[in-house]
Amino acid sequence: MVVFSRPVRLKEVRLGWTGLPPHPSVLAERTHPYCRLYCSASVIMRRSLFKLSREIVPSVGQGERRTPLGPGTLRQLHSCSALVYRQHGHHHDTVRMEEMSLAALGQHSVRLRMLAAPVNPADINMLQGTYPILPRLPAVGGNEGLGEVIEVGTAVTSLRPGDWAIPWDAGFGTWRTEAVCEAGDLLRIPRDMPLLGAATIGVNPCTAYRMLHDFVTLTPGATVIQNGANSAVGQAVIQIAAALGVKTINVIRDRPYRRELEEELKSMGADLVITEEELQGLSLENVIQGLQKPVLGLNCVGGQSGGLVLSSLCEGGTLVTYGGMAKKPLHIPAKALIFRNITLQGFWMTQWKRNNSQDMSRLQAMVTSVCGLMKSGQLRSPQCVQVPFHKYSRALYATTQSHQRKHVLIM
Amino acid sequence: PVGIQTGVVLFWFKMKVSRILWLLCKKSGVRTQTVCTGVSTNQQHKQLSSTSAVYRYSTTSSISHCTALIYRKHGDPAQVVQSESMNLPNVGAKCVLVKILAAPINPSDINMIQGTYAILPDLPAVGGNEGVAQVLEVGSQVKALKPGDWVIPRDAGLGTWRTAAVLAEEDVISLPNDIPLLSAATLGVNPCTALRMLTDFEDLKPGDTVIQNAANSAVGQAVIQIAAAKGIQTINVVRDRPDFTTLIDRLKAMGASHVIKEETLRRPELKELFKSCPRPKLALNGVGGKSATELLRHVQVGGSIVTYGGMAKQPITVPVSALIFKNIKVQGFWVTQWKRNHSQDEGALRSMLDELCSLICQGKLTAPACSEVGLQDFGTALDKAMQPFTSAKQVLVM
Repeated sequence: MVVFSRPVRLKEVRLGWTGLPPHPSVLAERTHPYCRLYCSASVIMRRSLFKLSREIVPSVGQGERRTPLGPGTLRQLHSCSALVYRQHGHHHDTVRMEEMSLAALGQHSVRLRMLAAPVNPADINMLQGTYPILPRLPAVGGNEGLGEVIEVGTAVTSLRPGDWAIPWDAGFGTWRTEAVCEAGDLLRIPRDMPLLGAATIGVNPCTAYRMLHDFVTLTPGATVIQNGANSAVGQAVIQIAAALGVKTINVIRDRPYRRELEEELKSMGADLVITEEELQGLSLENVIQGLQKPVLGLNCVGGQSGGLVLSSLCEGGTLVTYGGMAKKPLHIPAKALIFRNITLQGFWMTQWKRNNSQDMSRLQAMVTSVCGLMKSGQLRSPQCVQVPFHKYSRALYATTQSHQRKHVLIM
Repeated sequence: PVGIQTGVVLFWFKMKVSRILWLLCKKSGVRTQTVCTGVSTNQQHKQLSSTSAVYRYSTTSSISHCTALIYRKHGDPAQVVQSESMNLPNVGAKCVLVKILAAPINPSDINMIQGTYAILPDLPAVGGNEGVAQVLEVGSQVKALKPGDWVIPRDAGLGTWRTAAVLAEEDVISLPNDIPLLSAATLGVNPCTALRMLTDFEDLKPGDTVIQNAANSAVGQAVIQIAAAKGIQTINVVRDRPDFTTLIDRLKAMGASHVIKEETLRRPELKELFKSCPRPKLALNGVGGKSATELLRHVQVGGSIVTYGGMAKQPITVPVSALIFKNIKVQGFWVTQWKRNHSQDEGALRSMLDELCSLICQGKLTAPACSEVGLQDFGTALDKAMQPFTSAKQVLVM
């Protein structure tokens, strides 16, 4: 806790039409010099200094935005630091750490202290404006993350202070230190989970879980082939499939440390690990080496890689596409569709959640199953790089690069 | 009207010619077998063909051999297909002796001869997978068929380009013999494909839309008519050609809601079209390549694209976003596989054929434009069948 030599008072802030305060540099104009160091990212400053009474302005992304009641000083109860972007574009140009006011706690609301939030490729796409669903701007980045409940509204029964919770829908804006939201926006997570595992459970392991359950009935001994096997979803597929007794053929890009990676994936339960080049060069019998021909293919790359996975499927097989990292379309020979009866479908976790949001028990059941796998040790979160919240630009940059581990912001 | 007059004149000539032939045959000692003559006295066909040929049901043939189009190796049909005389076995207890009346030339038949098809018969083989035949004799244990019945093959690979055959009863299925000959001859493959694609993939209600390319193909025309009978709108994509307006009229007369060129699919004017009909739930692709990708762009969220052919011989390009964010299913359909999967289910093929025959009897389903060719002119027919922009299905008439 920082102690200041004289009382510090913040300049009274006129909130513009966005409902957000201006850039921290303006905010800090009339404050103590030491304060400016913390202005942009300080949890401590937030807790000790912002005990002013101001009119409520709902935080970004949390339902209807109420217009400020005329010019002049507005009052708020709490605020947070958040990674805000006001336009779409390259993250370096658009994302800034800003102070944001939080809505007051309603009857059905919950105040969350965010603990950790990963940076996923879809989050970058949203910043860039290339994702099919985009929040209204200005918006807080991040669609996934773990929070601890600090306060609940009077009518909230599903959560209590101290519980861990994750948002179930995209567009929450998890790259922030605190949030106020509806209790119905959250799913409870058991507290005895590893922190990083809980923070990264909502999107990728759940995607793996659904793809292994919803498309083809997989019996023990059946085979699944996937590309992008070293991705978060890929690793989750390996482990969940192993828990089901399903074999996996895992296609990765070639790299200098390929053998080490193969060992790592095999230690998770991968049955076979081959490179794209090997898949292209070898006949299928040599590829699958005694396993059954794959009945399900999982594709997050597209382009030629997706085509190779498709050509490895048995007759009547299904290819499920959940990503397009190569940014190239699939080229499907008509013979594969007509004579080999291959079906191609896509899977989008966000859409599944929205389709099933009428019955939250389905979402909760899925999360509970995946948490169970994690607690029993059958599912580990991918090795992550933990990044302090204020060093966010490192995490954003890494997610746009190849061969990087998952970066998780720690608040 | 012009057709009927020409038909009557030809009929008179035919009477004269067949009388002379009969006399010649009688003199040479070959057994003759007249079945029926002319058009008006027989209920077996209700319309003259577009080329005004007179059906020759009276044949002078023995039942111990037939003429067949045989190929002994795979290759260019013009080189490898020969007309040969083939012996016919005796009619076994569970077999039937049939006389083939008409058999079309389909692209898959050409592929089989070329050796590029997914299933290939043992060689030497008789060409042709589809056609209608009349039962002449039945074996002692044949229950469901009698002489005079019309039958079509249950499976591919039968070899229909021949004048007669001895077939197992279980290899054929009967059809009503009062539907038009060309409809019967072209019923088993293309209209069946159209009906299954309209039924098995999406739940289509009256007012829904289907978009298809190769709309002028046999499958395409069947799709238009079956969809129209069910109240389903069709957006029909065809290649541009000199007589495009004639084509539009012909397809609209069959029940097509919209007929557009491939190029129009890429233009913004298409938005006008979607003001008058909903976005398609289902796309039917017989072409592949860019044409298929363009169809895909217009399919509704959660819809499907079903591929039944690949006339452009190019793969289908599917953007990943169509699969993930528009939740479109990409599948294929092969009627031969459907028939094999349902071969144990007696009623499946029967009810499909009954539904199609019912549409034919109501006048809602007609055969595609056909060009009838005698078996002896098979070379010309094969050549024409392999040309692009063939507007008429080549049908061998025996």
